[in-house]
Amino acid sequence: MEHGPLGFAYLVALLVSIFGMATLDRRFTLFVWRDPARGAVTLLAGVVFFLAWDLVGIDLGIFFRGETAFMTGWQLYPELPVEEVFFLVLLCWLTMNLHRGALLVLSARAGRSAGAVGPDRSTRAVDPRGGAA
Amino acid sequence: MTYWAVNLVFLGVVAVVGLLALVVLGLRLRRARRDGRAPDAGRRRVALSAAALATGVLLLMTAVFDNVMIGVGLVGYDPDLISGQFVGIAPLEDFAYSVAALVLLPSVWTLLGGVSPRTDRGRDALAAARAGTPAAREARP
Repeated sequence: MEHGPLGFAYLVALLVSIFGMATLDRRFTLFVWRDPARGAVTLLAGVVFFLAWDLVGIDLGIFFRGETAFMTGWQLYPELPVEEVFFLVLLCWLTMNLHRGALLVLSARAGRSAGAVGPDRSTRAVDPRGGAA
Repeated sequence: MTYWAVNLVFLGVVAVVGLLALVVLGLRLRRARRDGRAPDAGRRRVALSAAALATGVLLLMTAVFDNVMIGVGLVGYDPDLISGQFVGIAPLEDFAYSVAALVLLPSVWTLLGGVSPRTDRGRDALAAARAGTPAAREARP
């Protein structure tokens, strides 16, 4: 397959998106930045699990690599593009960022509104519109 | 073997890991309650709402991006092995990956946890972002 500059489009898009996930993670201490060892093992477990799922699907001929100019053509296994590994990293990181991020936002909101949810409601010194003391 | 049949096998594994995580959470909760430091009902409701919110957003993003990825030809499917139910041009079966991720990853994270100390750096960063201060950027891990 010809490797024009377009051939890197999908890979670059994935890398940019993964970089975005890492940035959000770091900014709000969500997942890997919250606990690097635990985060890395969780991420690795997810990627390995989904790669196994992919390989079974490929072996059974359920799905296969599309013929497109947007991929490098490099394959880890017949019909398994190298891009898929990065896609799975992105899927797993996005899932955990969403999960931890939703928890963070909703906890903050619950703590601000009723005041019934915060762990230390007796010492709460937060103004009702949400400025953190 | 159809796409759904394969998905059922892998979703079964995910369900087992998810149940294991729930059991471990339950045990931790019981121990915490005994020590008088159990999270109240409000905290648990927030955790459930957060899981629901993450689920909604990820499924929506899957619908959008899976359609784009299939649309530009990154992946193809054997029409004889998929159900023929689609969301746009994305086979419904593809959503099993997102559902699996939503259960598997938080479960593994939970199973690996319990010993690491909680930090509130994320909450501080969020508050700083809301207040429009750059303080959070200094809050390096």
